[in-house]
Amino acid sequence: MIMTHCFTVELKKHRRMHMWLIPAGFLAVLFFWAMFSHKNTDAYDLAQGYTNLFFQLPMLNCILMPLMLSVIASRLCDMEIKGETLKLILTLEEKGCFYDLKFIHECMYLFAFVLGEGGIMLLCGRLYHYTETLSLSLLLRHLALTFLVGAVVLGLQHFLSLLSHNQILPLLTGLAGSFLGLFSLYFPPVVARLILWGYFGAFLPYGMNWDRAAKQTSYYPVAFPAVTFVCFVLFGILLYLLCRWIFIKKEV
Amino acid sequence: MEYAVKTDSLTKIYRKATAVSDLDLAVPTGSIYGFLGPNGAGKSTTMKMLLGLVKPSRGRIFVLGKNVNHKNRLEILRDTGSLIESPAYYGHLSGRENLQLIASLKQAPAAQIHEVLRIVRLEGQQDKKAGQYSLGMKQRLGLACALLGSPRLLLLDEPTNGLDPAGIQEMRELIRTLPARFGITVLVSSHLLSEIDQMATHVGIINNGALIFQDRLSVLHEHSRSRMRLRTDQDEAACRILLQAGLPSICKNGVLYLNSGANDTVLRAVRLLVQAGIGLYRLEEEQKSLEEIFLSLVGRNSI
Repeated sequence: MIMTHCFTVELKKHRRMHMWLIPAGFLAVLFFWAMFSHKNTDAYDLAQGYTNLFFQLPMLNCILMPLMLSVIASRLCDMEIKGETLKLILTLEEKGCFYDLKFIHECMYLFAFVLGEGGIMLLCGRLYHYTETLSLSLLLRHLALTFLVGAVVLGLQHFLSLLSHNQILPLLTGLAGSFLGLFSLYFPPVVARLILWGYFGAFLPYGMNWDRAAKQTSYYPVAFPAVTFVCFVLFGILLYLLCRWIFIKKEV
Repeated sequence: MEYAVKTDSLTKIYRKATAVSDLDLAVPTGSIYGFLGPNGAGKSTTMKMLLGLVKPSRGRIFVLGKNVNHKNRLEILRDTGSLIESPAYYGHLSGRENLQLIASLKQAPAAQIHEVLRIVRLEGQQDKKAGQYSLGMKQRLGLACALLGSPRLLLLDEPTNGLDPAGIQEMRELIRTLPARFGITVLVSSHLLSEIDQMATHVGIINNGALIFQDRLSVLHEHSRSRMRLRTDQDEAACRILLQAGLPSICKNGVLYLNSGANDTVLRAVRLLVQAGIGLYRLEEEQKSLEEIFLSLVGRNSI
């Protein structure tokens, strides 16, 4: 009852913040990229249109999402920091409850982005008349994994933004995450697995072969890295709980 | 006597530095309790401990008769309002929207919003974004937030900080009316004695984390005993005569003082000096100001 009540109050705080513009803006970038990448498509490309998206979108997420998530967390946490509201709010709400609810609200915008990304994939199929049939299970897997990795990264950004008096540090972390995430794709797998932001590209359903002579890309299915997935989920939960504990312990 | 706030050996230690030491605060119900102390004395830490924002190292806190612990903290605080250090507000929301948020969290009726806006005289500015408010208006908005939910206890930490003289006067007037109008007990901290002197009924003085005085303000005033300053043609000799007669006198920096303002003592002193043939030019009453008492209590030369 109280949790639901606080949830509504948290939602009211977003008034006039135009928060939806953040995922919408990043989705627009994604859409423009999709338009650009479909400029010279032939029948061969259209026959593996969705496969191509399943391979390329996670890489693009490596670049876009860390930055977007840092902006979302920063916007929502900074209103508390700038207005020095914690010393008031925390006399009315449990610290842990406040921390969780704000995170859930940030996840709402992440969820919207992930849904939008799914929408862009469907739109691409329609607009460019893919001849490949879309695998619904693969689509759901892609969206779920994007959300999961995004939520873990968001958990870190959420913590940094709530504890920073100046939002430059969390935003720089997001920016650095974008670069690191992208470069991690070129690192040896052992090193790449140590970089949190690179996990957007860690669960690709396909591998890629590039035929230099024919100048053609072909894809081959890759087994789901179950162990990596379990380790990542455990790491994500532990990271969130640790950050939450530090926030609760910190005096206002 | 009933107490709205009572602490028992309340202590806060940061690593090796003691911010608050064995504080036994007793704020009578219905009073305006001025919590006075120099900057860094431990006032804000104490208030934050009362609100559960800072965890005490040891000691107990009783608010509105209940022992505050982790479980009942929010339930007890629902009956309190607070304004700590600087006003808390959401700059992108209007004054009214800020109050609506806090009213929702306090589960206070929406009708109260208009009432508190009227009390703090922000009705005309309620639709303006709080970020565009002046500091005085933000402070009043903070007080309005604190007043939501009809609190029985109000904790105000330096509420006049940063306000201009008119704002200070306005805030002081507002605070002074709260116990009589709404039955609210007010615990207000300040480092300015004059401020507390003008609005408090009770006073607690904290220095270096320890409570060095706590009582009614009138008791503190009683400490301001008067003394007589004498100008004679032979101060040294006059002082000797008075001391020989057992009268409390001192000659300091060439000025003769009789450390009593009692009529019979003054009369006796004057008679003795006249009989000894000492010429008395001037006899002035000097009262120890509250400021001097405060300084002597905290052992400093300036606040």
